[in-house]
Amino acid sequence: MAQPRTKVALIIPAYNEAAVIARVISHLRDTFADSPYEAHIIVVDDGSADATATEAEKAGARVIRHIINTGSGGATATGLSYAQTHGFTVAATLDADGQHEAGDVLNGVKILLGSDTDLLIGSRIIQGENMSLTKKIGNKGLGFITLVLFGINVTDSQSGLRVFSARALAELKWKTSGYEFCSEMLWRARQLELHIGEFPIKAIYTEYSKAKGQNNWNGFNIVKVLLRQRIVELFSE
Amino acid sequence: MSRYLILVLLNLPLILAGLLGSLIDLKTHKISRGKYIFQTLLWLVILTGLSLAQPFYRYLYHHHLTRTDAMSLFDVVEITGIIYILFMANRSRIKTEVLERRLQDLHQELSIRLSDDASDNE
Repeated sequence: MAQPRTKVALIIPAYNEAAVIARVISHLRDTFADSPYEAHIIVVDDGSADATATEAEKAGARVIRHIINTGSGGATATGLSYAQTHGFTVAATLDADGQHEAGDVLNGVKILLGSDTDLLIGSRIIQGENMSLTKKIGNKGLGFITLVLFGINVTDSQSGLRVFSARALAELKWKTSGYEFCSEMLWRARQLELHIGEFPIKAIYTEYSKAKGQNNWNGFNIVKVLLRQRIVELFSE
Repeated sequence: MSRYLILVLLNLPLILAGLLGSLIDLKTHKISRGKYIFQTLLWLVILTGLSLAQPFYRYLYHHHLTRTDAMSLFDVVEITGIIYILFMANRSRIKTEVLERRLQDLHQELSIRLSDDASDNE
């Protein structure tokens, strides 16, 4: 009897990404079609004002609609919660702006399943191709802040491509709902003693993804929230 | 009665409540041991500061580091008020944080259920 295929949830948190979401889904579907995994593409539409949800549905993805916009961290949490409650063994998250290659997502799933890693981060810095100097500085700066505040040393703390084991799906929760969740997630993973790993990925920067991406100034906001979270945690329940 | 003693007596219930609250949170597994130690130390530092207010103030006074009179009853009320406000602000912040968390969880659960229902109806 054939063994059941591993169920993999491919989660795409999306906000106003109608222009590119169908292409991202199509690449993922084609890449995973020949893989040994049963891949389900789940788009979490974070209260978009455009036709993101409709485009994603047309492209064949399962769409979870947020009634209000919560931020990237909130949308990712919803996607992972869906994966956990619907019996997925592995889940991967990726950005909706098309900056990640579907092949890297598949590679990440393979690496995670072949190791004891619970949280695998796709690092755009290891190879360092395509990334502008400004983005590199911003990422390294936030990586340094993550190291200082939380004691976690990874090369790309802000990467959206992440792969989660079943244990990470069940246990990993975070409090922030904006982009700062990327660093907080690593902190929570360390608190839970989850195994964190990294693997190199390529980043595809188009004019569209550059326009949608975070600028370095927003990094200051992220640092502010992380710092507050770190202090507040000392007084919290 | 000494004004310094009044200062300690007025603030002691708050400090004891804080210490007890931290202990209850530890015993009910709401906070980690590290956080409990931090919070307890914080309350003990406040208690020590209040207890040593008289010699500390005297020291400053005799070395002309303050150009004010000895502590007035107004100062006592003011310090007590500040500590009380800090206590209440921290409690309110914790409650708001819990409420925010619940709202996020509710929104998340609602979105998933609506998605499941829509899928079942297709």
